[in-house]
Amino acid sequence: MIEDRQDKPGQESKTTDVFKSTADFWSAALKMWPDINKFYKNNGQPGPAAAKPEENGRIQDTWQSALDLWQTFFSAMSEPETVDSAIKSLNTAPAILLKMAQTGWNGYSHLLEQWIEKAGQIGQKTEAYQFENLNHKTFDAWMEIYQKDLQQYLNMPQLGLTRGYQERVNELADKFNILQGVAAKFLYLLYLPMEKSFQVMQDKVKEMTDKGSLPKKAGDFYQLWVKILEGHYMTLMKSPDYTQALGEALTAFEDYLGSRDQVIQDALKSLPIPTNQDMDELYKEIYILKKRVKELEKRKER
Amino acid sequence: MNQPKISLDLILEKLAEDAGSAQERVRKAPEVLLGPLSTDIATTPYDVVYEEDRVKLKHYRPTTKARLNTPLLVVYALINRETMLDLQPGRSVVQNFLKAGIDLYMVDWGYPTRKDKYLTISDHVDGYMNNIIDFILERHKMPQINLMGICMGGAFSVMYSSLYPEKIKNLITTVTPTNFDTDQGLLHIWMKNVDADRMVKTFGNMPGDLMNLGFLLLNPARLMIDKYVGFAENMDNKDFVENFIRMERWIFDSPDVPGETFRQFIKDCYQQNLLIQSKMELDGKLVDLKKVTMPVLNIYGQFDHLVPPGACNLLTSRVGSADTEDMCLATGHIGIYVSSKCQKEFTPKIIQWLTDRDGRPTAKTKAEKRTGKGKIKAVGQDNLTEVTGDKSQSKEMINV
Repeated sequence: MIEDRQDKPGQESKTTDVFKSTADFWSAALKMWPDINKFYKNNGQPGPAAAKPEENGRIQDTWQSALDLWQTFFSAMSEPETVDSAIKSLNTAPAILLKMAQTGWNGYSHLLEQWIEKAGQIGQKTEAYQFENLNHKTFDAWMEIYQKDLQQYLNMPQLGLTRGYQERVNELADKFNILQGVAAKFLYLLYLPMEKSFQVMQDKVKEMTDKGSLPKKAGDFYQLWVKILEGHYMTLMKSPDYTQALGEALTAFEDYLGSRDQVIQDALKSLPIPTNQDMDELYKEIYILKKRVKELEKRKER
Repeated sequence: MNQPKISLDLILEKLAEDAGSAQERVRKAPEVLLGPLSTDIATTPYDVVYEEDRVKLKHYRPTTKARLNTPLLVVYALINRETMLDLQPGRSVVQNFLKAGIDLYMVDWGYPTRKDKYLTISDHVDGYMNNIIDFILERHKMPQINLMGICMGGAFSVMYSSLYPEKIKNLITTVTPTNFDTDQGLLHIWMKNVDADRMVKTFGNMPGDLMNLGFLLLNPARLMIDKYVGFAENMDNKDFVENFIRMERWIFDSPDVPGETFRQFIKDCYQQNLLIQSKMELDGKLVDLKKVTMPVLNIYGQFDHLVPPGACNLLTSRVGSADTEDMCLATGHIGIYVSSKCQKEFTPKIIQWLTDRDGRPTAKTKAEKRTGKGKIKAVGQDNLTEVTGDKSQSKEMINV
């Protein structure tokens, strides 16, 4: 902190010098303008500067006002107080970048940690026909990291004229990421019966080998495996884990489609194509009108 | 080290045999798959005699002299297509009915588009179905027709029969869910947790492909693996390939279900089970099963994983009619209509049941049966008839 304070006077004076010389440069450039104009006129060369006299006046005015603005800005910036505040702002930028990098790194290391933990569990045996309290840690870890460290950037409030559009694009990205995570978990669940059926099949084959009752045809092995697989699927699908994962997958899919449709609707607004919302409103009106007409027709027949 | 208890030579010899026959199949398969194949479905000739919006009424051209006075209207589900009843010559419910001399009509619900998303169950039952039935009655100058419903179409037929019992002479329900409070089928378990509002908001109409994916996930081992292994094992057999492709064409020909109809079916039926309790309402009209007073034949599959027996077998005890019959076939949801075994049981049973009641006066209700009063006005082409007969309910289980 002491060092900071000690550095400041020197830093300020250097910056002030830079701003002052820049202001002087633009001031000199402004003074040169009539001479440049004169130079082009005298030589009669075609080009942007060789415009009509009245246009020259407009361009010169614009140029003049721009230079005045720059000169004012740099003069203001060369004031020691302003320079101090600008330097302070610049000093905070690395801190923001560092925080963002730190968040990303924390997430990555957390994910790595979870993967290592999961890798250690690969060799552990899972029970056949058991689908309660399954290990979803890898998928849950990814979702947790995403929701904790990444999702917040997509949910940041947007500003300005295109705020709404940007928010919907961000929402689409968010829902897409969630869908990926949830779908991966669901597909893993669908794969589990395969894994378990192979384990059971191995045990069965060993048992049959010991008894000397191995099937002679390859087709019989297949039939046995399909039956085991079917049994595992039936057990899985009745399990609460599966019902929950199915529900989550469906919800994530619906959310994604809803967000996607919103973005497409935004894009369609600029084209001469009606959106689903436009058509739905029209269809509803047609539906109600048709119903009324049919009712009136029936009344008339009576 | 223990001696192996089965000869390794024998196993290797069998494996070599299997590999040889597989190689032979693969060699012959292109001849079948690249050659001309007859895979058309629904080839029995018909005329479209009525159209309203996307809905059409098919009238099949008779192949023999009509033997039943009362025409039969078949109402299929909104899921998949009615072409299943006419998959191929020789295995066609439609052709069996025509051969028996039944004047046959069938509803083709068409392919709903986004503009149909606001159509409710009431629009289908009290709207399209009612208009179609009025059209047939007018065409035949008759007061009643026979009605047969399939799956969701069966539920629609039950609802219709409750709202307009005077127009229905006999009601046949096949694989028809009416009791949704059962844990026998996975579909019933899953549907209890489905957020129908959210689905309708997202999709508008319920996509047929998404529903098909759901049906496949009910038994992935059989429907996504074993089925195609079976195909690979028989792809050198032309008849097998043709039948297989016909079935594939039908099963993946899935129209979307109108959003509001889907919403109402899930909420009122699957989640609140209102139909079997006579609490369901269609546009404010109560669907009271006690008003189903015509004879009812209820057929379902013992191994149906979509509409399990528990979802079907309560109906006959809840309707007002005293002339009811349950029939459970040892097959699945589709097997009832397409398996060659069931062809020998299913359609002959319906034909006989309808023939027995054709020209017969309307059956007594359970209330009339209890009080012993049995003077009922005969309908159809008969005159007034006095009925005092008593017919108790019968349940039969036929293993096919």
